[in-house]
Amino acid sequence: MSKQKLPILESEYNIRPARILKVRQLTLTEKLYEIGFPNGESLNHDPGQFVEVSIFGVGEAPISLASSPTRRGSFDLCVRNVGKVTAALHQLKAGDSIGIRGPFGRGFPVQEFVGNDLLIVAGGIGLVPLRSLIHYVLDNRREFGKVTILLGCRTPQNILFSDEIETWSSRLDLSFSCTVDKADPEWKGNVGVIASLIPGITLSRHTYAVVVGPPVMYRYVIAELLLKKIPAHRIILSLERHMKCGLGKCGHCQINNLYCCQDGPVFRYEQLRDLEEAFPR
Amino acid sequence: MKPRIAFFDFACCEGCQLQVANLGEALLDVLKLVDVVEFREVMSEKWAGPLDIAVVEGSITTKEAVERIEKIRARSRILIAYGSCATIGGVNGMKNRSPLEEIRRTVYGEHAHTFPTIATRPVDQVVKVDYYVHGCPIWPPEFIEVLQAALQGVPCFPPDHAVCVECKLNENVCLYDKGVTCLGPVTRAGCNSWCTNNGNICYGCRGLVSNPNTKGAMDVLARYRIPLELVLNKMSMYNACREQGKTP
Amino acid sequence: MRYVTIPADKMADYITALARRQKVVAPVEKGKGQFAFEPISEGREATLTYIPTILPPKKFFMPQYETLLEYDLHEGQKMQAVVELEEMVLFGVHTCDLAGIACLNTVFSDRPKDLNYLIRKNKIVIIGLECVAYCDEYASCALMNNHLPNGGYDLFLTPLGDRYIGHVNTYIGDSLVEEGGFFRDATGADFAALEEVRRRKREVFHDEVPIDLDEIPRIFAHSLRTTIWKEIGDRCLSCGNCTNVCPTCYCFDIVDKPNLDLKSGRRIRVWDSCQNERFAKIAGGESFRKERSSRKRHRFFRKFRYPVDRFGKFFCTGCGRCSRTCMARINLKETLAQLAREYV
Ligand SMILES: Cc1cc2nc3c(=O)[nH]c(=O)nc-3n(C[C@H](O)[C@H](O)[C@H](O)COP(=O)(O)OP(=O)(O)OC[C@H]3O[C@@H](n4cnc5c(N)ncnc54)[C@H](O)[C@@H]3O)c2cc1C
Ligand code: SF4
Ligand code: SF4
Ligand code: SF4
Ligand code: SF4
Ligand code: SF4
Ligand code: FES
Repeated sequence: MSKQKLPILESEYNIRPARILKVRQLTLTEKLYEIGFPNGESLNHDPGQFVEVSIFGVGEAPISLASSPTRRGSFDLCVRNVGKVTAALHQLKAGDSIGIRGPFGRGFPVQEFVGNDLLIVAGGIGLVPLRSLIHYVLDNRREFGKVTILLGCRTPQNILFSDEIETWSSRLDLSFSCTVDKADPEWKGNVGVIASLIPGITLSRHTYAVVVGPPVMYRYVIAELLLKKIPAHRIILSLERHMKCGLGKCGHCQINNLYCCQDGPVFRYEQLRDLEEAFPR
Repeated sequence: MKPRIAFFDFACCEGCQLQVANLGEALLDVLKLVDVVEFREVMSEKWAGPLDIAVVEGSITTKEAVERIEKIRARSRILIAYGSCATIGGVNGMKNRSPLEEIRRTVYGEHAHTFPTIATRPVDQVVKVDYYVHGCPIWPPEFIEVLQAALQGVPCFPPDHAVCVECKLNENVCLYDKGVTCLGPVTRAGCNSWCTNNGNICYGCRGLVSNPNTKGAMDVLARYRIPLELVLNKMSMYNACREQGKTP
Repeated sequence: MRYVTIPADKMADYITALARRQKVVAPVEKGKGQFAFEPISEGREATLTYIPTILPPKKFFMPQYETLLEYDLHEGQKMQAVVELEEMVLFGVHTCDLAGIACLNTVFSDRPKDLNYLIRKNKIVIIGLECVAYCDEYASCALMNNHLPNGGYDLFLTPLGDRYIGHVNTYIGDSLVEEGGFFRDATGADFAALEEVRRRKREVFHDEVPIDLDEIPRIFAHSLRTTIWKEIGDRCLSCGNCTNVCPTCYCFDIVDKPNLDLKSGRRIRVWDSCQNERFAKIAGGESFRKERSSRKRHRFFRKFRYPVDRFGKFFCTGCGRCSRTCMARINLKETLAQLAREYV
C-alpha cells in the first residue's frame, strides 16, 4: 500500500459551515458579527466559552462568544482586527460564509452564581466574553442578587457597545461605572485605571467577582478584590493565551500544567494563584 | 478586473527577479490571478499608471532612487519588498544588521567602526513597506505565500524562529556535528533551510530572528573553536549578491 | 507468548524479504555518526547498531507536516477532514523510542481523541531492537526505566551474538516471523543466552544520574524558582532542536496552505516548539514565556512534572537526543543532577 488519504467524518478539525447574518462596526478596530448556522440551529454554548472561527485559506482564530445562549438561533462575535484571520474577517459582509469549531472550554459557573451578587470587572476587549454573561444575567435577572459592572477603557473612543452601555447605566437593577485611562474634552466620567474603582464600592459577603481584561490588569484588580475580602474561589477570571487546536493538544495555551483551552479559559483565582505562568509580571 | 502588479529593481543583483522568472509552472498559475504590467526580466513594457501591487527588489543607494521609490509608492496600493537587499539592506546595509556584524562588534568592540559601511537603506527606511520576502535570493515558495496574502488582503508575518527548526524537520545532519559553524540558530527561518539541505552552512541571509541570544551564539562559536575569520570570509561571499543570485 | 530466533547473518536477507512485500523503514547511516529512519529496499541499507536517530520514529506517527483538512471554495464552502497514512514496518526501534511512542499514544488517545494520529498508528507495524550496550554518554534510559523492553511492539529482537532472539507480541508479529522461513522457535539454550545478555546488561546499565526516580516530581515541585533555569536560559539559542528531536514532544501549529488559485487548499499541522519565540505570544504582543529561562523550564516541566500529574508517567525516555543535538551543550543529565543537588 502506498500513501493514502482517507476522509474522517468525526475529526475534531471538521468545521461547521456558518453564515454572517449582520455586521456592525463598533469602533475603528472592532466589528460585531451576528452568526447563524444554515438550519437555524443554536450553538448551545455557556457564557464565557469560545469558538474557533475559520476562514479557509487564511486560518483559524479563537473568539469569545459575545451573546447569551438564552438568545436562540444565532450568536454574536466581536472581533478586533489585529492579524491574518481577524483582518480577513473584517473584510466579510452579511451573507458571507465562515466556519465554526466549538464551543470550547469552560465558561462562567453561572449555576453557582444563582442567588449571589455579582461584581463584573471588564477591561477593554474583556467586555466581549463578559457581554455573554451580562446578557445571560439580564435575561434571568431574578435569579441573581445585586449586579455591579465596572468597565475600564483606554480612551472614550475604545468603548465597545456604547449603546448597550447607555441602557445598562440607566437600569435600576444594575449598577454601572466606567473609567478611561485617558479622557478627551467631552468625557465626563471617571479617569484612571479600573482597579481604582474597586475601593469605592460596597460588596456583600455573597459576591462573586468576575474579571476579564488585558494581561496587565489582573494583578491590580485581584489585589483590590482580596482587600475587599472576596475569597479566591469566588474570584472568577478568563485568561487569553495563544491557541491553535482548542483540544488540549497543541500546547500553545498551556499555563503551567493547565490548558487554557480545555481547563479554562475561565478559571478561579484559587486555581491560578500559585501558578508561576498565570499572571505576567 | 485583475489586480495590476509590477516588478521594480533598485541596487541589487536582480537574482531575486530571476527566481521569480524561474518559477515556471507555478508562476503561470500565479499570473492567472494578476495582470503583470511591468517586469524587466521577462517583458519590455513599462507602466506609469496606478498599481495594486508593486514588488520591489534592491536597496536604495542614491538620491534618484529615493525619488523613484517615492513615486512608485505613491501610485501603489500595496508594496512588497523582496530580497534581502530590499528588506534588510542587502550588500552594504546587511553588514550593519547581520549576525556577523553583531558578532564582529562583540569581538572587536569599539574598533568595529573601522570596518567601512556605506549609506545603503532598505526600502522601509525610505517608504512604507506592506510585505517582506527576505532572503538572498528569495525562496520562491515564500514569495508565492506573501503574494497570496497580499491578494487576500491579509497581513503575512515571516517566521520568527531559527532556521534550525526547518533544518531539523528536514532531518539534516547538523553542521556543528561536522565541525563547521552555521548561523542557523540565530537566523530567521522561512527558506526551508535551503542551504543546509544542500550541505552548505546557513549564512544568515534572511537576517536575525527578532530576539537572538547573541552572547550565547558567541559562546557557541568560541566553544567549537571556529576561527572567526573563517566565518567572516564565508559571510563576505554572501555579500557578492550577484553570485549568490544563482541557486545555492 | 512466543519466542523465535534468526541467525545474525540472515537478518539482512530477512529485511530484504520484508521490504519486497511492504514499505520498511529502518535506521540508515547519515555520516558523522548520525542515523535516520528511512525507507529501504535492501536489508544491507539498514544499520542495526546505531545510536538514536536524528529524528525519533514520531515522524511517522505524527509527520512534520500533515494535512488535517482539504477545502474547496469554488462552489460554496466544501471541506473534508482527512488523514494521510501509509502502511509500513518500522524496523529496529530501540526501547527508549518504544517508550516515546507509548507517550504519544497516551496523549493522542486522551479525550478529545486525535483520530489522525490514532488511525495512522494502526497502520504501523513495529519491530523493536534491544541495545546490549549504551548508545553513548548522553543516554539516561536506565534512570527512566526504558532500557529494557516494556511492550509496544509486534516483534522484539535481542542480539545474542550469532543470532537474534525475537519476542512475538501480537498476531501481526506472528505473521512477521512466518515470512520466508527465516525464524525457528527458540530453545532452552536461546533463553539462557537471553538471560545472560540481560544479566550483563544489568551490570552495565545503571541510573545515569544519582537521583531517585520517585523523587523527581517532588524535586521539580521545588525547582520553579531555581537559578538553574536562568543559567541554561542564558546559554540557550532557542534553536528548537531539543524539542524537535524529542520523541515525546508533540506541540504543533495549524496553518492554511491555499493552492495557487486561492480557492482551494489544505489546512495542515506543523511541528512547533515551546522554545520558539512566538509560541506563547498573543496578538496584544504579550509573550507568556518571553524569557529563555522560562522556556527551558517549561520544557523540563513537560518531561518530568506536568505529565506525571496528568497521565501518571514521565515524558522523558532517556534517549539523550536533546543533549546530543544542543550546540549550546545544555545537557539533560547535568541539569537533572544539578536540580537534585540543589534539592538536598
Ligand atoms: C479564549 C480566547 C478568546 C478570545 N476572544 C476574542 C474576541 O472575542 N475578540 C477578539 O477580537 N479577539 C479575541 N481573542 C484574541 C484572538 O484570538 C486573536 O486576536 C486572534 O487569534 C488573532 O489572530 P489573527 O490570525 O488575526 O492574528 P495573527 O496573524 O495570528 O497575528 C496575531 C498578532 O501577532 C502579531 N504578529 C505576528 N507576527 C508578527 C510579526 N512578524 N511582526 C509583528 N507582529 C506580528 C500581529 O501584529 C498580530 O497582532 C481571543 C483569544 C482567546 C485565546
Ligand atoms: S545545520 Fe545549521 S541550521 Fe541546521 S540544525 Fe545545525 S546549526 Fe541549525
Ligand atoms: S539557509 Fe540561511 S543562508 Fe541559506 S537561504 Fe536560508 S537563511 Fe539564507
Ligand atoms: S537545543 Fe539547546 S540551544 Fe537549542 S533550544 Fe534546545 S537547549 Fe536551546
Ligand atoms: S527530553 Fe531529551 S532525553 Fe528525554 S525523551 Fe526528550 S530528547 Fe530524549
Ligand atoms: S538511550 Fe538506551 S535504549 Fe535508547 S538507544 Fe541509548 S542505550 Fe539504547
Ligand atoms: S489551544 Fe491547543 S492545547 Fe490549548
